[in-house]
Amino acid sequence: MGAGLAFLSLYPSFFLFYGSVRSTPLGVPGNFTGANYVQVYTDPETYRLIANTLLFAAGASGLSVVLALVLAWITVRTNAPFRGFLELTAVVPSIMPSLLVAISWVLLLNPSNGVLNELTRASLGIAPFNIYGLSGLIFVEALVLTPLAFLIIAAALRGMDPALEESARTLGSSEAGVALRITFPLIRPAILAAGTLNFVRAAETFDTPAIIALPARIELFTTKIFREAIGSFPANHNLAATYGVGLLALTLFFVYLYRRLTSQVERYATVTGKGFRPHLIDLRGWRYPIAGGAFLILVMMVILPFLTLLLVSIMPYYQPSWHILQNATLRHYVNLLHDDRIYRAFQNSLFLALAGATVCILFAAVISYLTVKTKIWGRGLLESLAFIPWAFPGTALAIGILWAYINFPIPIYATVWILMVAYITRFLPYGLRSVSSTIIQIHADLEEASATCGAGLLATLRRIMIPLMRPGIVAGWIILATFFIREFSCSIFLYSPGAEPLGPLLYFYYQEGAFGAMAGVGVLITLVSVLLILGARALPGREVVG
Amino acid sequence: MKRMACVGLGLLFAFAVFPPLYSAEIADAKKEGKVVIYGSLETGTMNIIRKAFKEKSGVDIEYWWSSSTKVTDRITTEFRAGKQLFDVTLNHRPLLKIMKKEGIIGTYESPAFKFFPPEVIDREVGPAYRNVIIGILYNEAYIKPDQAPKSYEDLLDPKWKGKFVMADPTTHTTTTQWLASFPKLMGKEKADRYIKALGAQRPVLVDSITPASQKILSGEVPIGFTFTKYIVIYGKEGAKLDYVRVDKMLGDGQYFGISSKPPHPNAARLFIDYFLSEESMKILAEVGETVPRKGVFPAFKDADKIKYVEFDELDSKGFAEKSQEYRKIFFQ
Repeated sequence: MGAGLAFLSLYPSFFLFYGSVRSTPLGVPGNFTGANYVQVYTDPETYRLIANTLLFAAGASGLSVVLALVLAWITVRTNAPFRGFLELTAVVPSIMPSLLVAISWVLLLNPSNGVLNELTRASLGIAPFNIYGLSGLIFVEALVLTPLAFLIIAAALRGMDPALEESARTLGSSEAGVALRITFPLIRPAILAAGTLNFVRAAETFDTPAIIALPARIELFTTKIFREAIGSFPANHNLAATYGVGLLALTLFFVYLYRRLTSQVERYATVTGKGFRPHLIDLRGWRYPIAGGAFLILVMMVILPFLTLLLVSIMPYYQPSWHILQNATLRHYVNLLHDDRIYRAFQNSLFLALAGATVCILFAAVISYLTVKTKIWGRGLLESLAFIPWAFPGTALAIGILWAYINFPIPIYATVWILMVAYITRFLPYGLRSVSSTIIQIHADLEEASATCGAGLLATLRRIMIPLMRPGIVAGWIILATFFIREFSCSIFLYSPGAEPLGPLLYFYYQEGAFGAMAGVGVLITLVSVLLILGARALPGREVVG
Repeated sequence: MKRMACVGLGLLFAFAVFPPLYSAEIADAKKEGKVVIYGSLETGTMNIIRKAFKEKSGVDIEYWWSSSTKVTDRITTEFRAGKQLFDVTLNHRPLLKIMKKEGIIGTYESPAFKFFPPEVIDREVGPAYRNVIIGILYNEAYIKPDQAPKSYEDLLDPKWKGKFVMADPTTHTTTTQWLASFPKLMGKEKADRYIKALGAQRPVLVDSITPASQKILSGEVPIGFTFTKYIVIYGKEGAKLDYVRVDKMLGDGQYFGISSKPPHPNAARLFIDYFLSEESMKILAEVGETVPRKGVFPAFKDADKIKYVEFDELDSKGFAEKSQEYRKIFFQ
C-alpha cells in the first residue's frame, strides 16, 4: 500500500523535475541541463507572472472567504428565513464545470455586449463592468471557490462552543461586539485554513484563466504552462515542467501553512466538544433584507451562470438579442444525440467518475484505516505521502505525469487510464479527508468489544468498521465522482482524441465556437451530477451526504 | 431490361465515384472500419463529408478538431511517445513540412491529384484542398456597412482601438504566418509599420481564428480578422456577417498529410481519394470554403472578386522568431 502510494505521489514529482532539467523534448533522448531554469528565471516576464499569480490567488481566495463567511454566518448563526435552501444552494456550484461558470460570466460582463452591461446601459446609460482584467478574473474564481470555503467555515461556526458568546452577552456586550470579539476570533483558524486552501486552488486552476486571462492579456503560471506545453508551436515541455516546478514550490509552501492551520482548527474542535446548539441571532426587521443579501450571492454563484448556460443552449447562435431568442430551438440538444464524440466523452467521464471514484475511495479507506486505527510501522510516512498531491497543482501534476508515463512499460499514455491515474493521484487527499474524519470518531472500544466476543480482524472489519465507515466512504465517493466528471486542468494536457473526457470537450466546443453544443453538454453534466448526488443520498449513510 | 439498366447505371455511378479515382482497396478499408483524422477543418463541415464518405465507402471517420498549432503539437507528442494514433491530418503547409522532416508524415500520391491545377500542388505535400482567406469581417447587427472600415489602415483609427478581435499571433501559427506575410500586401517597410500600429491598437486576442469569429458573431467584439468562410457558415444560422472589400487578402493553403505509420492505411488512402474528389470539393465550396477549382466559388457575395495571395512559409525557427517579435508588439 505504501509503495503504491509512494509511486502515485513521488513518481510524477520526480519526472516533473526530470523534465525541467532535460535538454530535449518529451520522448527524445538528451542530456541533463540547467538551461531551462536559467531561461525561465532570467526572464523578467517570469517575475510578472509570479506577481500576477500571487495577486490573483490572494484576491480570489480573499473574496471567496468573505462571501463564504457572510453566507455561513447568515445560514448558521442567524434566524434569517430560507436558511436550509440557502445552505443547500451554496454547495451546488461545486457540481457545475467551472470552465462554464467562467464562460457564462464572460457573456454577462464583457464590456461591449455583456447582458448585465446591456441592462445598465439601457437603464442608466452606463456599462460599468469589464470582465477582462485581474478584477474580473478574481471575481469569477472567487465565485467558483466560495462553496469550499463555505463548507469549512460553516462547519466551524456550527461546532463552536456558544458558552463564551453567552458569557459576553451576560456581561452586556452587543451582538456586534460578540461577533467581533468572540465569534470571529474563535473561527479565525477556520477562516485562515479556508483562505489558504483556496489560495492554493486558485494558484493551480486553469479553468477560469483559460477563458479570461488571454483576452485580458494576463499571464499566470497555469496559462504559461499551457502555452508552453500545448498552446504554441513548437511545444516546449521542458519549459512547461520548469514553470511547473516553480508553481509546485509555491503551492507546497501554502499547503504546509494550511496543514499548520488545520491542526489548530482540530485543536479548537476537541476543546469545544459536541451537543451544543449555537445561539441564533435574532435579526428582527433585518431578517428578509439579510436573507436577500445571501440570495444575491447565490444568484451570482449559481443562478445567473446556470440560466445563461440554459439560454445559450436554446439559441440558434449566441447573440444577446430578443430577435435571436424568439427563434429558440432544441436543435443543439437534438444534435447532441447524434454526435458520437459526445457519447464517447460522456462514456469516458462516467467511467472515470464511477470506476475512478470507487478505486480512489477504497484506496483512501485502506490508507485511512492503516494510519488512524493501526500502529503499523511507517504510518506517519504513509500519511505524509498521501498529502503530497494536496500541493500538486493540476497543471504541474499533468506535466509530471506526461513525462512519467510517456515511455512507461505499461502503455497507458493516450488511453483513459492515464486520466484515471492522474485523477486518483490528484484527488486522493479529498477521499482521505472524508474517510479519516469518520474513522476518527469510531471509538477503539467497539473493536475491542468485537475482539473480546471472539471476532477476528476480518469479522470486525466487516461487521463493525465498514458499516461505521460507510457514511464517510459514501460522502467521499460523491465528492470524488463530481470532481472526476468535470475535471479539466489535468485532462486538457493528458487526454487523447479517442479517450476524451467531458472537460476538454467543452473547451474545444468553446474554441470551435459551438456555443450551443457546449452549453447543452454543460446543462447535461450539471444534471448528471445532481443525479449522482441524489442517487448517492438514497444509499445507506445518506445522513452525511450533501 | 429495366434491371440491367439499373445495374448499368449503378456501375457507372460506382465508376464515377470510386475506381479509377480510388487506388485503395475498398474492401480492405472496410475491414479496417474507420479512418482517424486530426485536423483544423471545422467539425460541422467534416460531418457533412463524413456522412457522404460513409454512405459511399462504408468506412467511418473519427475526427478530432483543433487549431493547426494544437493538432501539430498533439501529433508530435504522440509520435515521440511511439504512438501514431492518427491516419490523416488536415493542416497547413509549413507545419506539414516540419512534421514530414521529422518522419511523422509519409507520402501518398492520390490519383485525384490530377484534378488539381499544377500551381496548387506542392512538391512535398501535394495539392491544397482549400485556401482559407483571412479578411476583416463584421457583424451587421452592430456595425452598418457605411460605418465599417474600408481598408486595413482604417482599423488603425483610434475609434477601433481595443474594439476588434484577432487570434494571438504569438501562439497561433496560422496568425503568426499571416502577419509575417503582410509584406506581400504592402511591402516590407509599410508592413512593419502597420503591424506595430496594429499591436498598439490593443486588439482583443483569442486563442485561434475560430474563437475570433465567435466573438464577431456574438457581437461581443463585432469586427475583426477571421476567415471569410464564416459569412456562409454563420449565415446559414441566420447571422448577418459581411467583409471589408480590401484590394487583396492573404490566403493559407490547407493540405492533407498521411501518417508515416497509419493504423488504418487503406481507409486513410480511400479517404484522401474521396476528400480530393469533385464531390467533396463541391461540399467544401457550399459551406464557404475557397477550393482550387475553376469557376467554383464560396457562396457569399462578391466571393468571385476576392483577390488573395498565399502566405509566406515559415520553418520552426521562423515561427519562434516571429512569435518573439510579436510578443514585444502585442503584449507590451
